[in-house]
Amino acid sequence: MPMGTPTSDGTPKNTGYYVWVGVFFFIVIGVAYSLYYATLKIDYVWRWYRIPQYFLFKEQVEVRAQIQGTVHRITMKEDLVLVEVKEGDIKETYPVPAKALRVREGDFIYPGDVLGAYPRWRVGILMEGLWLTLKVSLIAIIFGVIIGLFGGLARISKNPAFKWLAITYIELIRGSPLLVQIFIWYFVLGTLINTILARHGLIQIPPLWFGVAALACFAGAYVAEIVRAGIQSIHRGQTEASRSLGMTSAQSMLHVILPQALRRILPPLAGQFISLIKDSSLLGIIAIRELTKATREVVTTSLQPFELWFLCALLYLFLTFTLSMFLQYLERRQLIT
Amino acid sequence: MIDVRNVHKTFLSPHAVRALVDVTVKIEQGEVVVVIGPSGSGKSTFLRCLNHLEAADSGHILIDGIDILNPKTDINKVRAEVGMVFQSFNLFPHKTVLENVTLAQVVVRKRSKAQAFEKAMMLLKKVGIGEKANGYPDQLSGGQQQRVAIARALAMDPKIMLFDEPTSALDPEMIGEVLDVMKTLAREGMTMVVVTHEMGFAREVADRVLFMDEGAIVEEGTPEHFFKNPEHERTRLFLSQIL
Repeated sequence: MPMGTPTSDGTPKNTGYYVWVGVFFFIVIGVAYSLYYATLKIDYVWRWYRIPQYFLFKEQVEVRAQIQGTVHRITMKEDLVLVEVKEGDIKETYPVPAKALRVREGDFIYPGDVLGAYPRWRVGILMEGLWLTLKVSLIAIIFGVIIGLFGGLARISKNPAFKWLAITYIELIRGSPLLVQIFIWYFVLGTLINTILARHGLIQIPPLWFGVAALACFAGAYVAEIVRAGIQSIHRGQTEASRSLGMTSAQSMLHVILPQALRRILPPLAGQFISLIKDSSLLGIIAIRELTKATREVVTTSLQPFELWFLCALLYLFLTFTLSMFLQYLERRQLIT
Repeated sequence: MIDVRNVHKTFLSPHAVRALVDVTVKIEQGEVVVVIGPSGSGKSTFLRCLNHLEAADSGHILIDGIDILNPKTDINKVRAEVGMVFQSFNLFPHKTVLENVTLAQVVVRKRSKAQAFEKAMMLLKKVGIGEKANGYPDQLSGGQQQRVAIARALAMDPKIMLFDEPTSALDPEMIGEVLDVMKTLAREGMTMVVVTHEMGFAREVADRVLFMDEGAIVEEGTPEHFFKNPEHERTRLFLSQIL
């Protein structure tokens, strides 16, 4: 057998190993190229250069006069200038960046005339969608963990009310499609809550929060089962030892069982969080412009589905991979301490 | 100190087993009682009933005058006075040796961290683990872990110590170090109930030996009486098998 560099498990790599590495790259690159080749056959024109504008673009801002009159006075105020337009008793002042100024003192101005124009960076629709997906997912994860923790504790409680409520909740949520749950949260519960709020003259809850609630409740049911399994995986002797020292069941749970269970539930929890980020793509159907809905909107206006949908997938991958790395870091750190 | 009257206990699952049958025994303060018997004879169940880790079905168990089978009794208060040492140590693996010994002092006895620390270090030195206080349980040998478990129980200043086969999970060379700690405790006048297969320990340290079989106390007496001229046929049979 030919000699090679040792792998991490200590066995030497032989030529066959490198051949199969080559096969891997051959297949990956081959599939990517076939896809590209196929798009050429249907005359699809790739225009990646038009993509960055959906993240960040330069917007021309124009300061326009609202009244007619002469430019009475221009005064400096740090890097801004104040343009004072006056006719008779009517006087208005417009702040304009010094470099963007397009008028001089004494000029006569009609309403709508441009006093100054300057470019400004704006966040594009895909960036906004990405941010909204991140925000919705994080809030849903936090509430999902809280719901799941108490759900899991209730699930193993001896009290039949807690236990059966937890089972009902978990089975109901796990047994119905998330899409249907989002519809129920928005069109049924949302209508009920907002109508009642309106009757009492209170402000309406925006759709975003019904979406977050749907996701949090959905994730909570799965987290509850993960928490239950984690707690039950801790050896009975741990409870017996802590109880034999005089701890109440709550103290035993808090100081002995949960800290140990937490380590074991971190990996399945990470999978659940990743699912949740991806599931948030369903929120587009209740007019929440998260990443998927934002992409769909850009596709309909730009007619560039190939670039945009690949990009959308990559952005989700970016979010889930970052989260996965973060949780792996937490796991490693816990194992050391 | 311990007054057990007509206690019965039946396990229903996985199948019905009569674990304790009309057990009546009285243990005085400062007494060291060793419980022996074949496996499945109910000796562990008997011990676990004494601090209500198992609930007896009927009868009375009085610990220092408090009936622990009375539903109104705050069992946690009683348990704080009754230390227990398990066959499999059951140390808290996520806490250091020191934290294992201080946790219940702070949480249950409401001692300050400093007080708990002082007490823990004193006890860890006593059982010979002082220098490993900041290690984790899985860095210790079985014998060391069991000695930490004894220190953890003693930190609560218990009036009674229960030992459930404390040396059964140990390698032979580590049994001695644990038994030595137990002998010291016995000499200091601790009330102890010990379930064990260590006949040497029973002979040397016990004030009284209880022999259990099929859930009942078959024979009890001083070690001399018990080992030299047992009255019952079952006791003789058991002794002939193990000695």
